[in-house]
Amino acid sequence: MRSHLSANLWLLALTLLLGAVLYPLALLAVGQTFFRHQAEGSMINSAGQPVTTASEAVGSRLIAQPFTADQYFQPRPSAVSFNATASGASNWGANNYLLRDRVARQLGPIVKYQSGAKQGQLAAPDIEAWFQKDRFRGQPGIVGQWANAHAGVAQNWVKADPLNSEYVAAWQKSHPDDVKQWIKENPDNTDPKPLDLAVAFFNSYSRTGPGTFPGVVEHKSADGKTTKSIEPVKDGTDIQGMFFDMWRQDHADVALQDVPADMVMSCGSGLDPHITLANARYQLDRVAGTWATKLHRDPAAVRLEIEKLLRDKTAAPLRGLVGVDLVNVLEVNLAMKNQFAPAGEAKGS
Amino acid sequence: MWILPAIILIGTVVLAVPLGLYMAWVFEGRYRLPTVLRWIENRVDTGPQNWKQYCWAFMLLNLGTFIVGYLVLALQPWLPLNPDQKGMLAPSMIFHTVISFMTNTNQQHYSGEVHLSYFSQLFFICWKQVLSPVIGLAALVAIIRGLRGDKDMGNFYLDMWRGVAYFFVPLCLIVGVLLIAGGSPMTLHGKAQLATVEPGAMGSDDSGAAKLQEIARGPVAAIVAVKQFGTNGGGYFGANSAHPFENPNDWTNLLTCIGIILVPVATLVMFGKMLSNFRHAAVIFGVMLVLSVATIIWAVQWDTNQPNPALVARSEVAYAQDLPQAGGAAKPVWMVARAGQSADIAARDPAKQGADQPATTVYAGLPVDQSLGNLEGKELRFGTSAGATWAALTTNTSNGSVNCMHDSLTPLAGITPLVGMWLNCIWGGVGVGLINLLIYLIIGVFLAGLMVGRTPEYLGKKVEAHEMKLASLAMLAHPLLILIPTGLFVASSWALSTQNNPAAHGFTEILYEFTSASANNGSGYEGLADTVGAAADDNDAKLPQRAWDIACGLVMLCGRFIPIIAPIAIAGSLMAKKHTPFTVGTLRTDTATFGFVLLGTILLVGALLFLPAAVLGPVAEHLGPIPFGGG
Repeated sequence: MRSHLSANLWLLALTLLLGAVLYPLALLAVGQTFFRHQAEGSMINSAGQPVTTASEAVGSRLIAQPFTADQYFQPRPSAVSFNATASGASNWGANNYLLRDRVARQLGPIVKYQSGAKQGQLAAPDIEAWFQKDRFRGQPGIVGQWANAHAGVAQNWVKADPLNSEYVAAWQKSHPDDVKQWIKENPDNTDPKPLDLAVAFFNSYSRTGPGTFPGVVEHKSADGKTTKSIEPVKDGTDIQGMFFDMWRQDHADVALQDVPADMVMSCGSGLDPHITLANARYQLDRVAGTWATKLHRDPAAVRLEIEKLLRDKTAAPLRGLVGVDLVNVLEVNLAMKNQFAPAGEAKGS
Repeated sequence: MWILPAIILIGTVVLAVPLGLYMAWVFEGRYRLPTVLRWIENRVDTGPQNWKQYCWAFMLLNLGTFIVGYLVLALQPWLPLNPDQKGMLAPSMIFHTVISFMTNTNQQHYSGEVHLSYFSQLFFICWKQVLSPVIGLAALVAIIRGLRGDKDMGNFYLDMWRGVAYFFVPLCLIVGVLLIAGGSPMTLHGKAQLATVEPGAMGSDDSGAAKLQEIARGPVAAIVAVKQFGTNGGGYFGANSAHPFENPNDWTNLLTCIGIILVPVATLVMFGKMLSNFRHAAVIFGVMLVLSVATIIWAVQWDTNQPNPALVARSEVAYAQDLPQAGGAAKPVWMVARAGQSADIAARDPAKQGADQPATTVYAGLPVDQSLGNLEGKELRFGTSAGATWAALTTNTSNGSVNCMHDSLTPLAGITPLVGMWLNCIWGGVGVGLINLLIYLIIGVFLAGLMVGRTPEYLGKKVEAHEMKLASLAMLAHPLLILIPTGLFVASSWALSTQNNPAAHGFTEILYEFTSASANNGSGYEGLADTVGAAADDNDAKLPQRAWDIACGLVMLCGRFIPIIAPIAIAGSLMAKKHTPFTVGTLRTDTATFGFVLLGTILLVGALLFLPAAVLGPVAEHLGPIPFGGG
């Protein structure tokens, strides 16, 4: 027994020394000596050059960062809002409506007609007009039908903003009859919270405010402060996105342009630094147009220059053997910024 | 599409042959050492052991790693190398994590960059992932010595030291350097905080100043190398090998994907070398290759060659059903599965024989170009079929790392990882995979022996009632450890409150978690909310998560030790038997015919045990209406 114990302790100590100290130290030495840039996280500065300290860097070429302005290519959707200290994915399966809902919301404002009189135009204005008429599959009350079909999505709306749940709570106080009816239908719960009442609320709202949705509206007062309140909204990207799937069902025969999948499907880590070249091309009109307006230049010329940049920055996995052409969003945006708005001029853009 | 898996399999075989021969050389002790190393060996070598002594040593070392591991995690706030000030972990999560890494499962209810300090990553995660594959390997080496009729099983401590010092750590050093060159960080600096290109892109704080982007990093490369090549899978980051720092590009993906199966394939070469029976090893290799290729093709076909079904057009379906009523009688109804909303129920008159079926419409698809297959939860830089291929290989072995999110695989593609873990012997974990296959082998030999009416023999030793009892025990432990807790959790609120997806997919999440625990795999349908988190966040509302920690911990313990100790006992018993001479009537185990017997045994037993569960989960999800619920 004693020999067992002694051998055991020796083995524990030796493997700790080897596996937890010497092995990582050896790699640390190699990494910090020969591959300093990679070992510190592949950071680059605003000129696109590799740096090893975070204070000089504008990003890591391996980690996606958000771009929202129209003159930049935008990365893939991130389930963790590009939080590089808590990577993760949506983990939604195909049978989960939240997945389809998220995709539809992104599509609504950007989808274009593929053919017909409106070829190449956005479908968004038509979605708004359809929404304002307030009929889905021949029945009145789009918002009510939407909440009935997707109770979870309706509840997520209540959770999304404290303003929303306050609004429902106020509705709960002023509509005792609706609440009573709800309790009658759900006898297990005699003290419903705003979250429970989401579907009932939207049904009631749909009856009183046809063609509108309770949206958050910002007001600027004279002293520059912004206040938010809930008001009936009948257009905007929220309407275009939230009700796109329903509009699509009412317009199933209309041909729409396909959007590249990586533009709407979120990645595994929430930090995928790449988009496909097809995705970049899809965004090219918007990006080139915005730069052209900013620089007062010919859009076609700007577009050509950006296309050349994209070509230079394109690479495919294992030289194209196993995948399609990709571009690194941060690198191409930096290159674009340096070409069109060299340091100093870019302020505020 | 098919090129990537082909490169991976061929690359693995090319590398595995020299590596396997080297492993045999190391474990046979054919090397000569300088004095210092010989002095170290003498410290751990306690002399020849029989199977009981070997098991004792095996259990004792596991206990030792359990205690040290527990201390490292439980003392995290007071230990050094903690630049980002990670705090105390919840007790149940420590319990789960320590068992998980002791058993080579590396199922992670914590999230590396959120919960662990660099000290914990190195002295717990890295150290445990160095030890646990070698523990499996040592058990296999002992079994081989038993099967070939050595006088003793060797010495466990010496085998461990040989495996760690002369085989595994040197291998990981080479891989680690390649990973750093590819872009994996290796630093002790805390998270990087940097100003983004677009000011305020990460939002702004309360005072209106633009937030910095914070990027977690650390000694990543060291951990990725050990987790990939030791069939461990416990990643540095929550997103595992989908994270750009764990898997920076296409080349590192190729390297680490080969790493998943390299050592298990090399063990086959070692097995053939040590038994001096390469033909027998080749038959086993053939069976494993057939199963592995089948799982890869299935996953790639259903996930990369098909769009995500959530977005495509689908017909609504009307089912004739009999709805149970309170009184006991059933009411005939039509259930109409409306895609994208709750089902409608309409009255049905059986006399009309379907004439009153309600109208159904086609649910229009969304305008998305899905020519690259299902991209939800996939990274782009590895190649189109990389996610599905990895999903197959990581569950063929007991690795369990992921480079795409299994929860978001298409329903049928999700069968591949489940089948891999259910069979648990297609390549398998380092050492234990081949041990699991030996169980199937002994059962196969027994079945074949019964069919020809002879006492079954394996490698010249008679297989009798005693061995068959032990083999059945090892074989049945796995399905019981999966199906019983799955049933228990499905019936309780613990499971329902932690699902991330509705209906059949939610069931699969639960089934998957226990399958992964029992197979010591460690991958997950990661949507499952099984994280208690820091001790500060632990409260009674986290009861379901605590239940997950404890249940999975117990399953992993049983799932590790029963299937290792029973085969060691079988080998011990075979070792003592007289060698029966080889005659014309002997069942040969080195022919293609025997390969088919083995394949048939694996498929038959596997299908009998797990088909019902597969039908309730992924098959039901595939056939059911999509999208079905959750919103």
